[in-house]
Amino acid sequence: MLSLLIGLPLVGAALIGFWPSKGSPTLFRNIALVVALGILAWTVAIATQFDLASPGMQLPENLPWIPQLGLSYKLGIDGLSFPLLALSAFLNCIAIYGRGETVERPRLYYPLIFLVNAGLTGAFVAQNLLLFVLFYELELIPLYLLIGIWGGQKRGYAAMKFLIYTALSGILILAGFLGIAWLSGSSSFDIGSISTKNLSLTTQLILLGTLLVGFGIKIPLVPLHTWLPDAYVEASPAVAILLGGILSKLGAYGLIRFGLQLFPEAWAVLAPGLAIIGVVSVMYGAFSAIAQKDIKRMVAYSSIGHMGYILVAAAAGTPLSLLGAVAQMVSHGLILAFLFYIVGIIEQKIGTRELDDLNGLMNPNRGLPLTSAFLIVGGMASAGIPGLVGFIAEFMVFQGSFSVFPVQTLLCIIASGLTAVYFAILINRTCFGKLDNQLAYYPKVLAVERVPALVLAVTIFILGIQPSWLLRWSEPTTTAMVSNIPPSNLGQIAQDLNKFAP
Amino acid sequence: MTTATSTQLPPSTHEFADIIHRLEAGGSMLPDNPENLKQIIGIYKAYAVPMDFYWRDLLYIAQEVFLEPLDFFKYFLPKEYLELHNHYAGDDADLRIWRGEATVHPELLAFMEKGELNQKIPRLFHHLFHDRINMEFAEACMRSMLWHGRDMGWGKFDAYLDSDEYKANADAAIKAYFQGNPAMLGLYKLFPEMFLEQVRQLSYYSNLGLFWEVMAPVFFEMSDLYDEGNLTTVPEAMNFLVNGIFAIAGRPIYHHAHIRGKVYEIIPKSKGFTWLYEAALPYVEAVFYRTAPFRGTKSYNAQAKQVPDEQKDFHYGILYADVFPVGTAGIPPTLLMQDMLHFLPPYLVDYYRQYCRGEDDMLIQLGITFQRSMYCVTSAVIQALRTALLYPLDDPNPKHLMANRRFFESQLDRFKRPEARLRDIQSQDYR
Repeated sequence: MLSLLIGLPLVGAALIGFWPSKGSPTLFRNIALVVALGILAWTVAIATQFDLASPGMQLPENLPWIPQLGLSYKLGIDGLSFPLLALSAFLNCIAIYGRGETVERPRLYYPLIFLVNAGLTGAFVAQNLLLFVLFYELELIPLYLLIGIWGGQKRGYAAMKFLIYTALSGILILAGFLGIAWLSGSSSFDIGSISTKNLSLTTQLILLGTLLVGFGIKIPLVPLHTWLPDAYVEASPAVAILLGGILSKLGAYGLIRFGLQLFPEAWAVLAPGLAIIGVVSVMYGAFSAIAQKDIKRMVAYSSIGHMGYILVAAAAGTPLSLLGAVAQMVSHGLILAFLFYIVGIIEQKIGTRELDDLNGLMNPNRGLPLTSAFLIVGGMASAGIPGLVGFIAEFMVFQGSFSVFPVQTLLCIIASGLTAVYFAILINRTCFGKLDNQLAYYPKVLAVERVPALVLAVTIFILGIQPSWLLRWSEPTTTAMVSNIPPSNLGQIAQDLNKFAP
Repeated sequence: MTTATSTQLPPSTHEFADIIHRLEAGGSMLPDNPENLKQIIGIYKAYAVPMDFYWRDLLYIAQEVFLEPLDFFKYFLPKEYLELHNHYAGDDADLRIWRGEATVHPELLAFMEKGELNQKIPRLFHHLFHDRINMEFAEACMRSMLWHGRDMGWGKFDAYLDSDEYKANADAAIKAYFQGNPAMLGLYKLFPEMFLEQVRQLSYYSNLGLFWEVMAPVFFEMSDLYDEGNLTTVPEAMNFLVNGIFAIAGRPIYHHAHIRGKVYEIIPKSKGFTWLYEAALPYVEAVFYRTAPFRGTKSYNAQAKQVPDEQKDFHYGILYADVFPVGTAGIPPTLLMQDMLHFLPPYLVDYYRQYCRGEDDMLIQLGITFQRSMYCVTSAVIQALRTALLYPLDDPNPKHLMANRRFFESQLDRFKRPEARLRDIQSQDYR
């Protein structure tokens, strides 16, 4: 079942790439949309097979591929990866649907999007470290091209920066994985057969640190984030949705899957530091967003802030906080996709993203009233207003982390207030006020252009008042994961560390 | 009227010199082109139909509803008022301006019966679904006249409302109206000013109703003339208005209340109040220039000082209004725009379809057209005032021409403030 999920986008890519006739952008958009909906339907089919009570791997597939390298085609999903798979399939539809008619060079564009999707899906379901790296690297080049060809003015710079950072991230991850396998003496790279129990804590810490930097680039964590604003801002809205909605989740997923699961002891040691890095990310994202004058840049920095919560939650390592981390990944994916989609519409219709130039878009006849309303809903969801999915995730993160890291959690709560500050700034400058009568002859937003935003808004709202539909997939898995982590006893850790001191 | 006189005077140095020269040549503040003419005539037509309702209902309220404390049904015109003969249309007209029927306009009647829903349901349900003429707009105009009335200095109408004679007339009507109602009579004894002020307001209802009774047939006739090809330029349209103003200037303004089959002459016709000085000019000043700040545009906060202290400095009329937020909360002209939307002639709908968002923002496009047309009406008023107080445009005496110019300049000085839309309407890009 899972192979098909990887295979379908590849089929779609091949179908469009090798389509016999010349075809119009609309034709290719429709083909791509059908394939994307097929992927989504297949994901739903998988959901029906998903055992909600089981904490372990489900729907396994295993083929020996290159045993000499320890590379096997081993797939499986659990409560950590399935929500992200579903998110990826969903946002893929949104990205392909959004403004697809106007895209140039569609025969390159859609195959690249499908390649990204295949890479993401593969990475989420891979149960072999090398296979994960394979898929992880697979989405690198397509995304580089997607930013570099269809992006904004500074796309070349942004794409190159993205490529270098992500390549570096891939190298670090590969190094970390090789280290894990070789040092632990494992013959294969399968996740189930690797155990880090025999490794010394120092070794574990070094390996975990490598992974942390590797995945931290992708998430991104604060000192490693500088590729993000450029890449998000220069990417077209659809690509920004893929980048921010799903790709950043790959980093967080990798960190939890490989960092927390493979190195529970070292994780416990590093946890306080991780929580601080998380808090710094959260604060940095919020303050930077307040300072921005470009709405897309504000949304991009909000992403840094919101991904920081995930790190704090994962560091806390309580059952609730880990569940909150998964919820935050999904909720952030939905909200970020929603915001990027709306910002894309505003940029397309108004022709600017500058806060100082935008005004009065709430005007019912000459502005973009529904788009403005969506922007307000999106801003509220992002700021954690109850009733929307952002609140559920953030509240679980706070509730789960407070007992472990009270100060860090409180700082996160303050940053959550700052999120409300910059979204209030954004909404006030963009939606409120009055239109400029010299300029306000904007084209209207067509009904078809509203569909993705409407779907996302409904999803955000429904998951906000019925959160169990979001949480029930992950609960057994996250609970089981946490049970591996030794209690974070600082005194004990200090002693352990002393033992390994030279 | 069309003789160009600007050659006899040096060019004006006013900010709006071009417009002043145009006025001196017998033109309007609105540039003369076929597109503008089509817009203003089309909107006169769309305005006249709800206006036909406004004037009838205003007179109905002033005369019949009177002091009804629970006036829930004041917008439900009875048959007599639908069939009430307009004095300026039909065969029995005092002065026939419009060649059409004197009773209610057929398009208005059709709308009142079926509405936007296009269904014949009882009038009460049309009203509750808000499928109706926005009579509140007419009342807002009336209140603007009432409130600015005292401040405007001209006309004797408002001063008369404070005279003992008026109070005595009103007193008789109030007592007759509440006859057999001890509660209201008792209240009247306790607070006589409360009821008196209501009657004053009703007198303004009558005043505005009588004003619009003239304007509706004028606009209908202009629309007909345009359709027949007899109005071909903006100055012609303006001159039709000027001539209409003079023809009608002496019509009486009065207030009669009909109580139990008896007519109480609260303001009798014999007082000699006339249409031009007691209704038209105060109306233009109060509604076109001043009105009240829109709640959705200005803050009434006294510390913020956004609203002027002096009424004469108010500049919130249609000549200054920002039409782009029409349809938003707190923008009163929306009511009128929504009314006119139902009665647009087809050529105007086709015209709007070609621009901006087509039918989606027609409310604003027609609002801007309305603004253009009201600049044309104001031009007619300025030309009429010039004719009445000063000299003809083709006067050979340069001193007289200079006096005319000073008059035009002083009028256009009012449009120097940044909110004025006079600059905008000079260009077709403003829509």
